[in-house]
Order: sequence, then C-alpha cells, then structure tokens
Amino acid sequence: MMEQLINELKEKIIETLDLIDVTPEDFKEDDPLVGGKLGIDSIDILELAMMIDKEYGIKIDNKELGQKVFSTLRTLAEHIQRNRKG
Amino acid sequence: MKGLRVFITGMGVMSPLGSGVREHYDSLKKNRSGIKPLTLFPLSEGNRHPAGEITGFEWDRSVPRTHGLALAAAKEALSGRNIVPDAVIIGTTTGGMALTEELLRKGEKRPDCYRYHSTSSVAEYLAGKLGCPGLIITVTTACSSGSAAIKLALELLRTGGAGRVLAGGADSLCRLTYYGFNSLQLIDPEGARPLDRSRRGMSVAEGSAMLLLEASDTVPDGAVAEVLGGGLSCDAHHPATPHPEGAGARKAMGRALEDAGTEAADIDYINLHGTGTKDNDLAEAAAIHALFGEAVPPLSSIKGGTGHSLAAAGAIEAVVSAMGIRDGFIPGNTGCVEPDPDLRLNPVLETVAKRIGTVLSNSFGFGGNNACLMLGDPAVPRKTRPHGTAAAFEILGGACVTGAGDLARTIAYLREGKKCGGTLPLADISKNLPAREVRRLKRLPRLALALALDARNAAAQDPAAIFFGTAWGPLSETCDFLTKLYESDEQFTSPTDFVGSVHNAPAGQVAIWLKATGANMTATGGDYSFEQSLFAASLAADSGETLLVMGADEHHEGLSPLFDGSVRSASAPADGGGALILNKTDKPAGPSITPLFFENYAAGPGAIASLVRSLGGAGAINETCAAVFAGMPGAEKETCQKQLDEFLKTTGFTGPVIDYRALLGEFGTATAAAAAVAAHFAKEGTVPAALASGTDLQLRGKRLLMVGLGPFVTAVEISA
Repeated sequence: MMEQLINELKEKIIETLDLIDVTPEDFKEDDPLVGGKLGIDSIDILELAMMIDKEYGIKIDNKELGQKVFSTLRTLAEHIQRNRKG
Repeated sequence: MKGLRVFITGMGVMSPLGSGVREHYDSLKKNRSGIKPLTLFPLSEGNRHPAGEITGFEWDRSVPRTHGLALAAAKEALSGRNIVPDAVIIGTTTGGMALTEELLRKGEKRPDCYRYHSTSSVAEYLAGKLGCPGLIITVTTACSSGSAAIKLALELLRTGGAGRVLAGGADSLCRLTYYGFNSLQLIDPEGARPLDRSRRGMSVAEGSAMLLLEASDTVPDGAVAEVLGGGLSCDAHHPATPHPEGAGARKAMGRALEDAGTEAADIDYINLHGTGTKDNDLAEAAAIHALFGEAVPPLSSIKGGTGHSLAAAGAIEAVVSAMGIRDGFIPGNTGCVEPDPDLRLNPVLETVAKRIGTVLSNSFGFGGNNACLMLGDPAVPRKTRPHGTAAAFEILGGACVTGAGDLARTIAYLREGKKCGGTLPLADISKNLPAREVRRLKRLPRLALALALDARNAAAQDPAAIFFGTAWGPLSETCDFLTKLYESDEQFTSPTDFVGSVHNAPAGQVAIWLKATGANMTATGGDYSFEQSLFAASLAADSGETLLVMGADEHHEGLSPLFDGSVRSASAPADGGGALILNKTDKPAGPSITPLFFENYAAGPGAIASLVRSLGGAGAINETCAAVFAGMPGAEKETCQKQLDEFLKTTGFTGPVIDYRALLGEFGTATAAAAAVAAHFAKEGTVPAALASGTDLQLRGKRLLMVGLGPFVTAVEISA
C-alpha cells in the first residue's frame, strides 16, 4: 500500500514539476526532497502542496507543516496515508 | 552646471486607510487598520483571507479600477492647481488586470474590451487626462515599483530633463495577485502583523499615491519634503524570496544614503518595507543591522494598516514619510503586539509625535528588485550637488532574436532582402540554456535569458545593472495561472506561474544568471517599452557602469491578438527582442546609443516639429543621419505614415527609411531587435544594399536615427 503510494507520488512529482531528466528510480524515499540533486526548491514545494490538495484533498497550507511533510518522499506519503479520506 | 534640489510640492493618496492625505493623517494617528474581509470579488471556500480594500471607492467605470485609483491620487496631488507635469512616471504591476480577468473568464473575444489591459495604459491614461506632453515611463518592478518610479523622476529632474514630474504608483486588488500570494502561502489569515513574533504573512491590498515633484535651486512654496536621494539594487538570488542576509536590501539602502549625501547616523526614521512575511521581515532586519550596527533609528511598517498594495506601496509610504516630516510624527507599526525577538528590532508600535528631519523608506520586490528613497525636511539648508546630463552609452555587444534566429541569422536574412518576422520554436530559443535549470521558465523568460547570454558573450563583459522593456510581460504564465484558477473554481492554481507572471520576472531571472546586483528595472511602455527602458537606464545607471538594456515580447496565441492591435494587423505572428551591453560614458570609443526624444503625440500635434527641432533642424538631420529606422506599429499605420510624411517633408531627408516592423515582425519590442540590428550596422559602418535602395550605404561617421511613431513619438540615435 505504502510502496504503491510512493511510486504514484514519484510519477506525480515528476509530472507536476516537469522534471524532464528525472526518472522514478532517481528518487530515494528517505533523501531530503528539497535542495538535493533533483533540484527541487521552495516554489516547487508550493506547487506540490497544490497538487496534493487537488489529487488527495489534503491541505498543507503553511510553511511549518510543509517543512515537516515535505521533508522526504516517505514523510509525504505517510502524511497522505494518515489524512486520506476513505 | 547648477545643482538642482527636488521637492514634493503636491501629494495624493488612496489606501484602505482613507481617501486623501487628511484621512490618512487621522487613520495613522489612531493606528487604525484598513484590513478586513474582502468584498470586491467573491472568494472561494477555504481561501477567504482579509485584504486591504478601499471600500466605497467610485470611479469612471469605462476604465479599470487601477486607472481610477491613479487618477484620484493624481487629482489630489495637483489639487486643482493649473499645473501640467512635464513627465509622468508611474509604477504598476497589474494595470487593467482586475477587468481583464473578468473578461477572460466570460470568454470575451472583442479586443476593444481589453484596451486598458496593459500596464502602460495607466500612465498613458493619466498623461491624457492631465495633458502631459512629455516623457512617460511605466515602471514594473513588482512591490518596489512606486519607489523606483520616484527614483527615476528624481534623476529626470536633477538632470534638467523636466521641471515638474508626476510620479507614483497604483494597483487595484485583483484575483491574480490575491490568489497568487495565497498560493505562495504568504497571506496572514488574521491580517498582516509586520514584525510581530506570530506574524504569518502579508495582506494583499490596493491603493495609489502620486507625488508632484519639482526641481528648484530654492525651496518652492508648498514644499512638503525634499527628495534627497534614492538607491536601486537587485538581490540576484531568487525569483520570489529575499536574500536571507538582506544583501540586496542593504545595498539599496546604502546607495540611497550615498545618493543623498547623508550618513546612517543622520537618519531619524526608517519606514520599513515590512510586509509581515517571515522571510521579508527577517531579511530586512538583517540588512538594517548590517548597515546601522548598534545605532538603529526609530522604525516601523505601516503595512499592518494599509496592507501591501504592491506597486502603490512605495509611493504611499513616501507620502506618509513626507507627512511625518511636515507634521512631526512617526507612524505606528499597526498590527504588531509583540515584536519578534529574532528580528532584534524595536518598532514604534503606536504613532508618536516627533520631529523628524530625514527618512529612509524601503521597498523590495519579487525578482529581488529593491528601491530605497531618502526624504528630508525642506527647510534644512543642504548642499546641492551638480548632476551631469544623461550621457551616451557605448555599445559593447548586442544580440537579437527574430523569427529568423539569432543576430547573425537575422543579419544574413536582411542582407538577402528576406523578412525575419516569425516565432522561433521554443527549443531553438532554449538551445544554449541548460534544460533542468530552465524547466520552470516559459517563453518570455527564455527569450530574455537567451538574449542576455548572447549579448554578454558578444561583449565579453558582465553587466551590473539590467534594464528590460516588455510591452505585455509573461503572457504564457499569466494565461496558465488564470486558466488553472478558473478551471478549478478558484481552488487551485500554480505558484510557479504566479511568480513567473510578474512583468519583471524575466529581468530578475537574467540577474540571477549573470549575478547582476546593480539596478534592475523593467519598463512596460507598450510599443515604446525599449525606449522607456533606455531612458530609465540613462537616468538610473551610474557613470562608467556596464549595463544590459534589452527588450523582449512573446507571442501568445490567445492573448497577443486580443491585447495588441498591431499583432491583429500582421499577416503572421512574430516575437523576439534585442539586447545590448552598454557602458555609460561621456566619451564612447566605438558605436554608441543615446535616447534623445519622447513626446506624447496625443497631447498636441506638434510632436514631429518638436522632434525635428530637438534634432537640430533639417540641416543637421541631413548632415548627420545616414538612415532612419522607423517604428510604425501596424495598429497605427495611418497615423505613423502621416507622421513619417511630415518628418520627411519638414526635413527633406532623402536617405533610406527602414520600416523595421515590416522586416522583423509586429511585436511590442521589435524596436529592441531593430536597435541590435542597427548597432551591428553601425559597427560594420555599412547598411546593406537590400535595406538601402540597392547599394551598400557607407555610414562614414554618420548616425542611424531610430524614430518611434504612433501615439508617442520617440527618437534614439545609434552613432558609428
């Protein structure tokens, strides 16, 4: 279940951020999402927050929460898992 | 030359704190806040935050709200006096967007409905209402626009280019900025509380402020305050987040002090940018500590009362600072209850009566565009410093992009008599840009980057300052932002598109790439955007400084034909631009470019006669000019032809007249591409036969004259 969500998120992140030269295999679940070699920055995180809201109905609408949730791909998946309706 | 001082002799202001200077005085005395639930347009569920709205404001509905706000402040600034300003320099970020976004949502297809969309239309509307015949500049440097406009006005007055200038800023609330800042999570749901430890952001607001500025060597009657100086800089750090140590902010403050000939210790009060976002207030505090050390003067932000009215903010705060000087008070930092200990600042929490002689007013914007102003008590005698007239710019290198490709390809086409108009594929524009780093950039910022890098490589010199002209700004980002917003019933949109939609975003990107931390200014003057950016450069660049002056526009399938009559008149879409690396100098060692003339044709039919006079008359024109590059926007073809005929009849000029839009395409900044082409010819000393009635035209030291025609008449010379 978790594995499936993580894989889904990899695809969605690549698509949302136009990470043209990144493949799902480039993502390590426990690496920091921001500032790593994927080149994701603070504006991308806001873009992802919008995507998470749209796709999963979960609001991450302040910086403090965002910093925790978008720490790694795994923390993001866990947050979605916990808060997902139904 | 004599040293002129510049005084504020009239002011008008509209904000959530009231209509007019008097109401602002009352509101400021009471620390009143104008931030409240927004009623101007309905907000979607979950996104209802307070804003700074001017409730009950009535205006002529044939123009957008921003135009109405600008006019109300201008009328107050001139307060019934029979004064026509010589020039109008206005900052605005969204122009007619509040109306445009409603029209787009309805699917309105009639172009006439969008005639007040452009940011340039605000200054043009004011100039028309006031009968201003002279120079108009629309400054679009995001949240520092109002202050940057006042800095340009100061320089225009100092150099004797005008005697009286109306300067200021205006922006109305609109969905683009409201949902845009919301998508960046920069709005405080409880209303802005600048400097407070629990602050969570800004409150988006609207407003306008206009200053009548006059140059004089003595203190004129009714002088409220003196404009002592201004400083510009760029963070060159990030599109939307300030440099964490406030490096750019510190530089702009330092430059303002230097320009005013004052020391940090002379400052009696700092009016902070103080938006209430975590990052802004931290960066601004760091900059202040770096500059002032232990001796930080009294300071406050008024944005807890006014909210953040973007381009209007700097102008509103200049008015409030001038009131503080005249009436002897420091405005309170409304909304701040417990100052954030991390800032190590002690803001003046409640308005206090105090004589203040010197004020530093800060404005910082997206793109890292910073502008600081120094105002002072007019009664204090001050040394006047001589200021040189606008110097020439030596051309160190140039670049252009047209449908044909880069400068070399464009020149090759022109030599063969082929037309270059068209839209280059995005992949071609981006061919020298690293894919990963430009993944978020759409067409206009890529055009700007490609131009800047080409020009830099041609000149083999890095510019410190950047002046960018664009008629329409980033249309792709604007369209995509609104499309996503509307498709989701105003639930979702793209923060990336919002940051990219700001007109000065491309120039901010260029600054980041070139690490250009000097002045960074975007001028949006419709078909005269390149000329305006060149004039702005002549006013704001330092002597001896290397700078990049450029212009670019993108063709957008949906929006370009809707907004731009010349695009509609064209047989095929076209876009591109041009860039020049310049050195401001009195004695150019090679080809040079100089802005010469800018008049409002609508304000009087004498603009062509005036142009001929200013160029030294028919004799001088024939003796010194080899060819004329005529800018004749398609939408104004008849007027342009009439003007050109008058020019040719008056001067008897028989050299080649090159209608460059017919060759390079119909787009707002075709002038910038033409300037790069003309600069290339000047360097070679020849205009090729295909453009010069069949035989190569040797310049032999003669100049190329670029004449812009239509509602404004402009002249720029390029000397060999």
